[in-house]
Amino acid sequence: MATKANKKMLKSILLIMLAFVILFVSVTGYRLTTIMLINGEKYQSLASEQQLYDTLITAPRGNILDSKMNILATSDTAYTIYIIPNSINNLQDENKKTLIKTTIAKGISEILEIDFETALGYTEKKTSYVTVKKRVDKSVADKIRQFTADNKDLGIARYIGIDETTKRYYPNDSLASVVLGFVGDDNQGLAGIESYYDAQLTGVTGRVVAAKNALGADMPFSYQVVEEAKQGNSLVLTIDSYLQHIAEKYLEQAVEANRAGDRGACVIMDVNTGAIRAMATKGDFNPNSPFTLSEADQALLDAEGSTYTKNELLNKQWRNKTVSDTYEPGSVFKIVTGAMALEEDLATLDSSYNCAWSIVIAGQVYHCHKKGGHGTQTLKEAMVHSCNPAFITIGQLVGTSKFSKYFEAFGLTKKTGIDLPGESISVYHSEKNMGPTELASSSFGQTFNITPIQLITAVSAAVNGGNLVKPYVVSQVLDYNNNVIKSTQTIVKRQVISEETSKKIRTMMQAVIEDGGAKNAYVAGFKTGAKTGTSEKVAQNNASGEVKYIASTVGIAPVDDPELAVLVMIDEPNGGSYYGGAVAAPVVSEILTEALPYLGYEPQYTDKELAQYALNIPSVINDDIATAKNKIVAAGLKTRVIGNGEKVLRQLPLGGQSLAKGGTVILYTEEGATEEPNVTVPNFIGATVSEANNIASAAGLNIEFTGNISSNGYITAYKQSIDPETQVPTGTIVTVYFRDTSAANVAD
Amino acid sequence: MPTKRKKEKPKFWQKGKLDIGFLILVLVLLLVGLIMLYSASYAYSYTYYQNSYRFISRQAGFALVGVVFMLIASRIDYHVYKKLALPIYVGTAALLVFLLIMPPMVSGMDVKRWFVIGPINFQPSEFGKFSIIVLFSAWISSNPGKIKKFRYIAWLLGLLAVMCLLVVLEPHLSATLLIFAIGIILMIVGGLPMKWLGVGAGIGIGGGALAILSGAVGYGSDRIKYWLDPWADPKGLGYQTIQSLLAIGSGGLLGRGIGQSRQKYLWVPEPHNDFIFAIVCEELGIIGAIAIILLFCALIWRGFTIAMRAKDQFGTLLAVGLTFQVGLQALLNILVVTNTIPNTGISLPFFSYGGTALIILLTEMGIILSVSRASSIEKV
Repeated sequence: MATKANKKMLKSILLIMLAFVILFVSVTGYRLTTIMLINGEKYQSLASEQQLYDTLITAPRGNILDSKMNILATSDTAYTIYIIPNSINNLQDENKKTLIKTTIAKGISEILEIDFETALGYTEKKTSYVTVKKRVDKSVADKIRQFTADNKDLGIARYIGIDETTKRYYPNDSLASVVLGFVGDDNQGLAGIESYYDAQLTGVTGRVVAAKNALGADMPFSYQVVEEAKQGNSLVLTIDSYLQHIAEKYLEQAVEANRAGDRGACVIMDVNTGAIRAMATKGDFNPNSPFTLSEADQALLDAEGSTYTKNELLNKQWRNKTVSDTYEPGSVFKIVTGAMALEEDLATLDSSYNCAWSIVIAGQVYHCHKKGGHGTQTLKEAMVHSCNPAFITIGQLVGTSKFSKYFEAFGLTKKTGIDLPGESISVYHSEKNMGPTELASSSFGQTFNITPIQLITAVSAAVNGGNLVKPYVVSQVLDYNNNVIKSTQTIVKRQVISEETSKKIRTMMQAVIEDGGAKNAYVAGFKTGAKTGTSEKVAQNNASGEVKYIASTVGIAPVDDPELAVLVMIDEPNGGSYYGGAVAAPVVSEILTEALPYLGYEPQYTDKELAQYALNIPSVINDDIATAKNKIVAAGLKTRVIGNGEKVLRQLPLGGQSLAKGGTVILYTEEGATEEPNVTVPNFIGATVSEANNIASAAGLNIEFTGNISSNGYITAYKQSIDPETQVPTGTIVTVYFRDTSAANVAD
Repeated sequence: MPTKRKKEKPKFWQKGKLDIGFLILVLVLLLVGLIMLYSASYAYSYTYYQNSYRFISRQAGFALVGVVFMLIASRIDYHVYKKLALPIYVGTAALLVFLLIMPPMVSGMDVKRWFVIGPINFQPSEFGKFSIIVLFSAWISSNPGKIKKFRYIAWLLGLLAVMCLLVVLEPHLSATLLIFAIGIILMIVGGLPMKWLGVGAGIGIGGGALAILSGAVGYGSDRIKYWLDPWADPKGLGYQTIQSLLAIGSGGLLGRGIGQSRQKYLWVPEPHNDFIFAIVCEELGIIGAIAIILLFCALIWRGFTIAMRAKDQFGTLLAVGLTFQVGLQALLNILVVTNTIPNTGISLPFFSYGGTALIILLTEMGIILSVSRASSIEKV
């Protein structure tokens, strides 16, 4: 019998329905509100912690280029190897866990050259990311990939990862290392340009935030947010790799030959713009492995009873002496003292000064380096003689007030502001503390300390028409598309002296080369100027009782309208002579001899020079024998013909090279004709010019002279381009470097 | 007499209009459930079957079959089940006993709640619920007023207890609770005096405690412990709960957007099964979650309305029992997923993956629709 539900039943159904729906909505509503709204953030962040992982995309660091856009520093792809210990530790099977750990430890310890125990230790860590090795190159990363593929059955790929990063690379190794600096493990700039311009070079690191699943893998359709990396900017330096190379080559040779106790520095600056064309310190380091000591320094560290620490030596090799070291410039400073007196009309080039060997200022006796004194001399002569008593007299004439005013005006009281890190401040007598004796010693460049960059900036002002410019190393900042986003403009801080005074300074500096202590800075074919300096390292002298020196020379070229100033300083020369004129001046000559033709200056040889050693060899290839002979003889050279052909097929030396008078050009006239046998290069060191000539012709070699061979002093060879005992073809040119070694001509 | 007989004999092909509101609610829940299943199972399916569509394609097929079954069931006179009430009960009980005797049919599981025949696998406890609903509806409607008598109540409780005992031994705690609650509700609707209700409540609580204690050996007690503090074993027994909470909590007000769950990337274990609602919360936010809860509530309201309009008490009780079963299962599932009650292993109707269960569910919805059809004829 079908009975419909009665009222009571309907009532209870209604009640049950209401009660149930209210219970359902209220309880679930309450719980969901608690979890999703009140504690939502907490759960969400916990969820993100397990789901998301950040991968940093290293922004490629900007390149550093030289002034000709050659790469000095760039970034290569490198790889970071990491492991994910948590994924191993989450495995349930203990045996498998151990097997995987030992397999991984064995594999990575072999491939990455770390020890097994360390590697095993990484796998034990309670974390999801352990960096095993950074900045490995592709071949190593490939080995890791091969290793994971070989152990596919263990699923090793789940526990080892490879991240792509970049590694800094300096293609020229140590070239300009103290300027460039270097980077650390995370590509952060630690020294030099790399440090000073770190923000520009670095760019903006990008990130990939990706979701992973519970197995630690990316899902092909997973959540992913990419913040693109922004490539760092590139820098164009004022440094010219070629000039830098020349500067480093000759500086290094001088540092070695003079057994410099505390390295040497060289800087080439554009006197008009302040652009640094080259800046070197030797011995420096290789920025590709900045934490490796040079052989010489390693030997110092390893020597028995060595008092050095590795850090100390590393800091020395990283140190850019030009901006970070201060020294007493000595006689080079007489340029500045002279400029003050001329500008203030307290002296003319012909003002006369008497040097009676000694001079007494406020009870203090100062001696001239020339026993008996120079007698009466003009200002120009005093500069040529580098006469201390004369400059003390000039200094006293200028007075402390004006001296201090000019000292400051030449930029010697403040940092130059060059865009390199670690510039030192100078230490000097302020006007207030400067008495007559302080003034006296300051007049010839002693008892104050300035940086080499300050000195070359001051000298540049003295010779460029009087403008004190701000030196700089970076000329342009480029974005990643090589668009120029910033260009450095020359900053003229002030005009210190007039063009007229500047011209007089240049005249005196030229005279110093022609007649004075800087004869060795002579550059054949070019008019240049220079001033040498030899300063005592007073602080060190007191400590050891042994006298140590800094030999320096500043040169300018061309002297009539200077473009370049070159400063060379050799710190603690121990090779016999310690005079600037003997140790540093030849380096200036060597550098300018190559630099000036490179910069497009044509040599203008004097007749005397031409007659002696700078004959241009004509090119006679394809000429018939008679014509060739005529041409060569007309050029003042001799010929020797090999073979019976009618035309010259090959000549040695080649056309365009220069050769000393009387040199022989060998003309080959037959294909495959028996070549003249090789000859052994003899030793030219210590020989005079005529001796060297004889040695060369006896050996069947040609000779080219470089350096100062036209002065009246005692000229001898101190270096040759091809080492003795080397086998070379007959007729090869050996360049022999000469300098004046008579003490009277180099003392200052 | 012939007219009476004719009236009582069930017609196999029933006419009348079904309740369109209930049908729409069922279809909406089914559709939303399928969409969410697709999203929730996507990553899991891809990872373990290299095919993102494995779960959704199968479930969609089952849903189609289920809808056909539902429409057929809505045409079948529900009085058929009244005749079959006792055989269904006995058959289900026999099946459960058989399961208890046999070793577990699903390898790797130490519970015996699954029955496997070829490609079909199902939990006979599903039939346990149905058998109690049919049996109680039949007995209570056939014996009006007797429910006030102790002997009669004892019979009903006895039958309920036997079914509960068989299911709890599998063990399947959540199904036991469901069966017990459905039985009690049907007795209350059937007119159980309030004094017995108090006794019943006492027995219920006692039985529940006993059930938990009986499982204290290893199955129940840990569940209580990690219910109270899932972070006590975050990688082990607390893992599922924690991952569920992280998913729900990540949803916030509006959710990550459909398809955007991150927890479904294998963090929530088997996100397509019992814990699908956690993924729903993560993707749709509290707004979406509440909307789905309200859909269930609307279904309950519509189901109970059909019950109240049924042409006889059997239909009323049948509709109440079946509607209540769906509502209570949904509530318990959400309470488990939100860690409001211990994890008992209960799926979310219309959402969780499981073909046989879905077909059974939709067929049951068809029975409710059949009740609605019958009442529409009555009115005419």
